[in-house]
Amino acid sequence: MSGLHDLSLASVAGDPRSAVHRRDPRVKLLGLGSVTLVAVSAPVSAWPAYAGCAAVLTGVAIAARLSPATIWRRARVILPLVLFAAAFIPFVREGRVVASVGPFDLTAEGLSTFAGVAAKTAIGTVSAVLLGATTSFPDVLRALERLRTPRLFVLVAMLTYRYVFVVAGEVRRMRTAMRARGYRPRHLLQAGPVGHAAGALFLRAHGRGERIYLAMAARGFTGTMPQAVPLRLCAADVLFLLAAAVPLVALRLTLEVMA
Amino acid sequence: MHIPDGFLDPGVAAATGALAASAVGIGLRRTGTALDERTAPLVGVTGAFVFAAQMLNFPVAGGTSGHVLGAALAAALLGPWTACVVLAVVLTLQAFVFADGGVAALGANVLNMGVVGGLGAGLILAAGRRALPQTRGALLGTGAVAAWSAVMLSALACSIELGVSGTVPLATVLPAMLGVHALIGAGEAVITVAALGAVLASRPDLIHGWRGTPGVASAHPRPVLGG
Repeated sequence: MSGLHDLSLASVAGDPRSAVHRRDPRVKLLGLGSVTLVAVSAPVSAWPAYAGCAAVLTGVAIAARLSPATIWRRARVILPLVLFAAAFIPFVREGRVVASVGPFDLTAEGLSTFAGVAAKTAIGTVSAVLLGATTSFPDVLRALERLRTPRLFVLVAMLTYRYVFVVAGEVRRMRTAMRARGYRPRHLLQAGPVGHAAGALFLRAHGRGERIYLAMAARGFTGTMPQAVPLRLCAADVLFLLAAAVPLVALRLTLEVMA
Repeated sequence: MHIPDGFLDPGVAAATGALAASAVGIGLRRTGTALDERTAPLVGVTGAFVFAAQMLNFPVAGGTSGHVLGAALAAALLGPWTACVVLAVVLTLQAFVFADGGVAALGANVLNMGVVGGLGAGLILAAGRRALPQTRGALLGTGAVAAWSAVMLSALACSIELGVSGTVPLATVLPAMLGVHALIGAGEAVITVAALGAVLASRPDLIHGWRGTPGVASAHPRPVLGG
């Protein structure tokens, strides 16, 4: 349950020298984002569009030398939870009943909605996983900044990311201390102790956070990260974006015209 | 409560995205362009704290999941508009880096949790500040009400979006979401009150609007960051 152990899942994986990893973070953000948008905006039963998206994602994963196991390890945090929730759809949608499970009726409309939703969710999740696995977090922020995200928004994201590790470190220390004092939680969610721990955690993290920030300011942090190498688009970057986005957008528009 | 990609009708996704973007835009303007050495760590630690709290996730029948929100705590510490920005940032990071919540559904998620949750909690806290004396009991009481209400309002907005999209009938998703979130909201209220109580006991200056504390959004003589 504790997601704090899963911070490693946000780090870069695969071959860092691959053709995908070396692409400009902006084209990865836009390219993979457009795959998600094509899948999500397609009608529920637009299977050619889903197949096209899956093909592009597979191509990116192979080029980045990401194994299915790595992708699954990251998608597993979210995907089963979502599919479990979506599994209720066939029972609650009204329509032509095709089968009954106990007192519940499965409808054809519900089943096709479920299949479409599952495909869209899987494409969206894998697309975000591929971005996270091929692009470091500071690079995602640089891309957002260069794509004209407001500076304050990027700054808050930067500080949040920095302090997630502070909070995680304090959680670890507090857990160790609680175990050393013989604390054995009897329920998963004991609201009282969790609340007190949360209050103490916030104050401890904030205390360290203040000192860290002052240290950053003392070393000359002015709200942006210094960049050794400025972002510059090369021909391969443009090619990546075109290859990822153009066929899919064309396919999506063709489906629109045919519908 | 994070809506994944695929659950929303494109029209609903676009409309909620436009609403969320304008609200966050207002929040950014109200926060100003500068964070100083008092507000920068507070914003960052609150964001990280909310990020960690939202990772405790469990599924809810009818198409989505439930978790602690952190909106009321953020609003109590940062004020409603900066809380709205911080929640939007947390949700964006979750969508892009952890694949939690859809990228195309990001607008809806920001609208539900950041705008409806953050601003809703902020309004309740502000109303409490005006109507009640500035005592510990009054702050913790309104904090509890704000925490529970923020969770319920977010769940309500989420259910309406799923219902309007036609993914699941509103009559099914609404009672399921509100029922589960009535309980989650109670847990959220307990945690919010405990955290606020601890902050009030040792760092009352960190609480937005507490006996004349300068808020994050107020002008500060020495802007250090991002100006």
